[in-house]
Amino acid sequence: MIIRPVVSVSMKRSKITADIFIPLVFIVFLLAGWEFTVKLRSIPDWLLPGPAKIVHTLVDNAPLIAKHARSTLVECLVGFAVAILFSFVVAFLMDEIPLFRKAVYPLIVASQTIPIVSVAPLFIIWFGYGMLPKIIVVVLVCFFPIAISLLSGLAAVDKDYLELFRSMQASRLKIFRMVKLPLSMPSFFAGLRISAAYSVMGAVIGEWLGAKQGLGTYMTLAQRSFQIDRVFAAILAVTVLSAALFLLVSFIERLVIPWNRLGEK
Amino acid sequence: MPEIVVEGVSKTQGGLLTLGEINVVAGAGDFIGILGPSGCGKSTLFNIISGLLRPDRGRVLIDGRDVTGRTGRVSYMRQKDLLLPSLNIVENVSIPLVLKGMPKKQACAEAAAHFKQFGLEGFEKYYPRQLSGGMRQRAAMLRTYLFSSDILLLDEPFASLDAITKRKMQTWLIDVFNVINPTVMYITHDVDEALYLCDRIYVLSDCPTVVKLEIRVPLCRPPHGRTIVDPEYGVIRDKVMEALEI
Repeated sequence: MIIRPVVSVSMKRSKITADIFIPLVFIVFLLAGWEFTVKLRSIPDWLLPGPAKIVHTLVDNAPLIAKHARSTLVECLVGFAVAILFSFVVAFLMDEIPLFRKAVYPLIVASQTIPIVSVAPLFIIWFGYGMLPKIIVVVLVCFFPIAISLLSGLAAVDKDYLELFRSMQASRLKIFRMVKLPLSMPSFFAGLRISAAYSVMGAVIGEWLGAKQGLGTYMTLAQRSFQIDRVFAAILAVTVLSAALFLLVSFIERLVIPWNRLGEK
Repeated sequence: MPEIVVEGVSKTQGGLLTLGEINVVAGAGDFIGILGPSGCGKSTLFNIISGLLRPDRGRVLIDGRDVTGRTGRVSYMRQKDLLLPSLNIVENVSIPLVLKGMPKKQACAEAAAHFKQFGLEGFEKYYPRQLSGGMRQRAAMLRTYLFSSDILLLDEPFASLDAITKRKMQTWLIDVFNVINPTVMYITHDVDEALYLCDRIYVLSDCPTVVKLEIRVPLCRPPHGRTIVDPEYGVIRDKVMEALEI
């Protein structure tokens, strides 16, 4: 009566080939084309450096970039954590109190239409050049996808579950904790993964507009002195950081909701 | 074993008179069938009996006590298993006990004691998604049983199963019924299933729903467990089909 996943080793291996090997080959191919074009047409480094030069710069400036990356990472993580906390409170209230939902929902959507680059300088004026304005930008960027995915997850819970638990005399709080929250976790984590990747971008934008430290600052300084290889090295660092956060969230997801990976028949 | 009396219950939903005036009685230890076309308000009736909905008129008595519009006496099992994918089977099944205030560990032990009888032995730690549809329905039924062991309200419990599994589950249900002997109300739109399982069948009409026919089935739950071949079966079946206008 039990359904076990029937996946042979050879199937697994061919899946790994398809998922990892093919994109890898494609990326190498693109990079080779880039390097080749730069070399062949002898494009100067200050205009467009080749991938080899960029990696070289990254290695050479590793301690400095790592120092900047550290403060960017701190801003990301703090902002991310605040956004999660905030989303939970808002989503819980919106789900439980229809009036609150009606009042706040348009506001949340509208908040997403505000161009971050236009308000970030205001945060700097109000809160100075420290970390706080960057954290606020990260919170603004991350809050929306997390809150919306959590809300839609809560709203998508089958009404029959709620009726069943109500008929067994479960309190509203118990229904939320036992039914709604676990059932909305897959959707919540989908939003969390997206905003984990976005959070680095948010922090970099915040730093770009004025900061003492961070990858955004490093990038602006490099760009102003036409050290394009350093700009690219910083971009590479941002990408790695974003991917690392994305993977971290995926890893936490596996720990928190292991049951979600059990395939539905 | 308690007696369920549904007395002159009517309900309007969304401006539409869903339930006309329904009178249904299930005596102690009866296996009652409620047969009717889709969307005729069979589930609304269960929502009223379990107290989730308050009828516009009429009342529901269980063992002489008026439980109209009050939850907590009985829960009911639906076509969907409604097991939480985040919990394993024994945790899922013990939910009604936990909600009644029993410590989790004790509730799980209590639930596990019934696993053999419900054909779930050895699957305590499995998650719902790892089990077949039939097993999940059995777990859902055990959960319903643990909430109120003397009354089982079953709303098309096997409708989503394939024909072979469905038949197996019907014979299994008869075995369980013979051991625990609860009062059962069984909603279905399968005439043969109703005739196979139920002592008495209420045939409901289309909206606004009224009881069109109440009929005894003396041949139900045959001890041989095979197809009923008594000529009387055809006569009863035709009467039911006629009431359903098919």
